[in-house]
Amino acid sequence: MALPDLELVERARGGDPEAFRDLVVRHQRRVYAVALGIVKDRDLAWDVSQDAFVRVHQHLAEFREESSFTTWLHRITARVAIDVLRKERPSRRSDVADVPEPLLREAAPGVLSTALGTDPQETVLRRELSARLTEALGELPDLHRTILVLREMDGLSYEELAERLGIPKGTVMSRLFHARKKMQVLLTGYAGIDAPGGEEAP
Amino acid sequence: MKCAGAAPLLGSLPGELDPGEEALLGAHLATCSACRARQADVEALSGLVRDGLRGAAAKRDFSAFSDGVMARIPASAWRGAPAGPLDRFRELLRRHRVLAAASALVPALAAVALYLYIDRRGGTGPSELSVEVTSEDLATAVLQTSDGPVILVGEGSEGT
Repeated sequence: MALPDLELVERARGGDPEAFRDLVVRHQRRVYAVALGIVKDRDLAWDVSQDAFVRVHQHLAEFREESSFTTWLHRITARVAIDVLRKERPSRRSDVADVPEPLLREAAPGVLSTALGTDPQETVLRRELSARLTEALGELPDLHRTILVLREMDGLSYEELAERLGIPKGTVMSRLFHARKKMQVLLTGYAGIDAPGGEEAP
Repeated sequence: MKCAGAAPLLGSLPGELDPGEEALLGAHLATCSACRARQADVEALSGLVRDGLRGAAAKRDFSAFSDGVMARIPASAWRGAPAGPLDRFRELLRRHRVLAAASALVPALAAVALYLYIDRRGGTGPSELSVEVTSEDLATAVLQTSDGPVILVGEGSEGT
């Protein structure tokens, strides 16, 4: 039977390399998914993921079991990925204009959800769009991609995002909105979905 | 509340908005089909982001990943972990090679010392060894001779 994370953490703290390796193997794909979402380059995401585990090992003694190991691991992963982004592309701070505003206006509400249908698992379109998701994420500005991935993969609250990214809560909500809107535009574009006339309330 | 104000609130986690915001958003959604549709889009997108990134991770070959991580952790990092008494003794010997060499000589030095002690004591006469032999009902006896103490192991004392 597989040992729980905390048992493996305890053994790794005691100097058991195989216990730590078990933790790595158990979490490696999810860590890579978060890293890939933020840095968008596969090889860079690989390095970020490995670096995150090395940092986790360095700080095992400081891990307090108030949060789950997964939460702690993902927090470190996101921090490493964001640091890498800042070093790699320091000049790209905010580029909201990357997706033209006219495209945003064309994103009619409900198009994506209607096209995907009600079955979240089995539509062909969903599989196609999932396969192209990283491509779409790669089109987003760093700031939008990072906040969207942290929200959707780690489930961070507005407050946690604000603290993690060092921005006000209002900015978090606004940035998330724009990130989602751009993703909807990109994904409906990939899927070749025609946007019907949207209904707007006052 | 208008759509422009409601849109950023869509996709909130339960309990994430303050009660005032939550009430205003609820009232707006009740009357605005466009924002209800946006809400559905947000939910659809959430699932796609998770599925897409996990799918990309699932396609990659991770067979060398953990080896790469372990190779980046220096061996000394594992030695820094709390060790047992035997580990600590080994580490002490590793660090102090003179001490290690001396410890290897300890059994030999002890044997020589014992030999010299017995030899010298034996030379002064058996009475000074004060070895008392009691053989009654015992199978083993120690005899003092001019060459030193001799231990006699008997056949046993069956029936006694």
